[in-house]
Amino acid sequence: MRLLVIEDEDDLRASLALALRDSGYAVDLAADGGEGLYKAGNSDYDAIVLDVMLPRLDGWELLRQLRLTRQTPVLLLTARDAPKDRVRGLDTGADDYLVKPFNLDELRARLRALIRRTAGRAGNVIVIGTVALDTAARMVRRDGRPVALTAREYFLVEYLALHQGQVVTRTALYEHLFDEDDNTFSNLLDVHVSNVRKKLGAEFIVTDRGHGYRIP
Amino acid sequence: MKPFRSIRWRLQFWHAMLLAAVLAGLVVTGHRLRRTEIFHETDQQLGQRLDPVAALFRPARPPPPPGGPGGRGGPGLPPNPSPLPRGLAALPPGTENLFAATSGDGFYFVAWNRNAVELARSASAPAGVPLPDDTEDAPAARMRGTLREVYRFLPSGECVLAGCDLREQLAGLARFGWLLGGTGLVIFACGLAGGWWITDRALQPLAEISSTAGRIARGDLSQRIQLAETDDELGEMAGVLNETFDRLEANFARQARFTADASHELRTPLTILLTQTQAMLARERSPEEYRASLAACERAARRMRRLVESLLALARLDSGDAAARREPCDLAAIADETVELLRPLAEEAKITLRADLAPAACFGDPDRLAQVVTNLVGNAIQHNRPGGEVTVKAGRRDQQVFVTVADTGPGIAGVDLPHIFERFYRADKVRAGASGRTGLGLAITQAIVESHDGTLEVSSEVGRGSVFTATFPAARPGE
Repeated sequence: MRLLVIEDEDDLRASLALALRDSGYAVDLAADGGEGLYKAGNSDYDAIVLDVMLPRLDGWELLRQLRLTRQTPVLLLTARDAPKDRVRGLDTGADDYLVKPFNLDELRARLRALIRRTAGRAGNVIVIGTVALDTAARMVRRDGRPVALTAREYFLVEYLALHQGQVVTRTALYEHLFDEDDNTFSNLLDVHVSNVRKKLGAEFIVTDRGHGYRIP
Repeated sequence: MKPFRSIRWRLQFWHAMLLAAVLAGLVVTGHRLRRTEIFHETDQQLGQRLDPVAALFRPARPPPPPGGPGGRGGPGLPPNPSPLPRGLAALPPGTENLFAATSGDGFYFVAWNRNAVELARSASAPAGVPLPDDTEDAPAARMRGTLREVYRFLPSGECVLAGCDLREQLAGLARFGWLLGGTGLVIFACGLAGGWWITDRALQPLAEISSTAGRIARGDLSQRIQLAETDDELGEMAGVLNETFDRLEANFARQARFTADASHELRTPLTILLTQTQAMLARERSPEEYRASLAACERAARRMRRLVESLLALARLDSGDAAARREPCDLAAIADETVELLRPLAEEAKITLRADLAPAACFGDPDRLAQVVTNLVGNAIQHNRPGGEVTVKAGRRDQQVFVTVADTGPGIAGVDLPHIFERFYRADKVRAGASGRTGLGLAITQAIVESHDGTLEVSSEVGRGSVFTATFPAARPGE
């Protein structure tokens, strides 16, 4: 799962990146509205965390321009908690908002829900055959027994599970699992897929030669 | 409010009292007048009728010889009461009917001799008319029940009395009295109702004002007094009150916005503190990570401290206790000191700092005046281009001393110019960050200047730079 954090406060941006990377997300950063809009428009993020008060191009305008081309889910961070500010945010096309100061746990929970909703799932648990994914607890069970997955492996499974039945290209997977600073070799993806197959069964992920991966 | 303490009741009470007194006076006077009139008329009629009766006993025949024994009761009048017909028959012609029992007027007469023996009486006279008490020669009148009697003692000692029954007139007078009283009551009721209506109309605006003020007191500051008539005194008052409410609401809104802004400004460093500490506590970190995080926390805390200090400074200036310290000081010396203090900052920013200072004696708090110069010069350094200049001038002009700070920065756009002294207003919309700006600097500067009875002005040209001028009253020589 890949996120974009657009925040002009250096210290806040750094701590958000740290916390979200800790949770296994691939996190890209932008320090102002222009950079943020550019990145948001040119990559396929699973969600964007957007501060409203930004120099040059503020959050509202960024959101308006982004919505012309992309429907990436956006979570607004705002210091203004008046109802009219919330309404304005949601009307402009934000999918959720969080008022400063917030708890990191709440931010994570809202991001999870946002990503899940975007994939068209309302519930926490995705069941595929004998495998059950609890997206809230980041827990995968096979035949009722917990299976230990690394954060990357978990996101690989979650991304494919959220797009169950569709072929997900390697590029897309790569985009969603690694951030812009990752210089990993592309065969790392194969390593993750292979590990998941070992843990959840060889047939859990199907390879479509020349196209990508798919959970049937 | 107790009903009898209210203006309405007091007005009504006095109004009713006054009206009742006036009406009672009118009714009583009217009644008296009518009664007097009745008596007067009756007495006149009785007097007219008494004359012929009295004439009977006047010595029409030659009076008794002066030497005769007992001038009175001479031979013309027998000592014994004469029979009635005799007296009646003697009434002058044309006057017989005056006392006719059948005339319906109820007039009668009675005559007594000096010995109180009844001499004559008309047929219509009621039984048992008592002899009146002797009076002077003048005719007198008395009331006996419903009977009005006028009598006269003749010089010869006889007493003649004419009377009539006033039953009907008195009944009429009573009716007239009732009519007067009834009319008075009706007028009183109308007066009360009218008074009530007028008081009600007069006090209606007061009720509206009171209820509006009540709604405002309960927190709805947008309420205004709506009066139909605005030309009278209460309308004028409502106008004044509405203006007051307008200003109150504007002040309140400004204060509320300031509080909201202040809390927003505090939210960002708070968020940094929270997210940093939560992220650090989530799991074991390397010493470098801890150090970086603590440094970030410190920056956030410093920022909150700056903000809180600025807010406190503003609060003190707002409450007016900044005016406490006043001493003679030289604005030029203060500016010189400040410029030297800020010179390293200017050099770091590659800014040339020039000073052109002439003595400028004024009266004030040197620390706060230094803060004014510091804020203006600090701003000028911050909002400048690399290699730019900041020029500080001080001096005296007429009865004023001034300090101006000019920069060669980007200038301030016309739309922003009127707002730059507002709290938390930022022309570039950049939030106060690690740069140390709180968005309150110019607001504080202006508050200090104004607390010194001075003015702070700005002129700016986009692309050329801005000039801030603070002007204060000069100290008079000898001060």
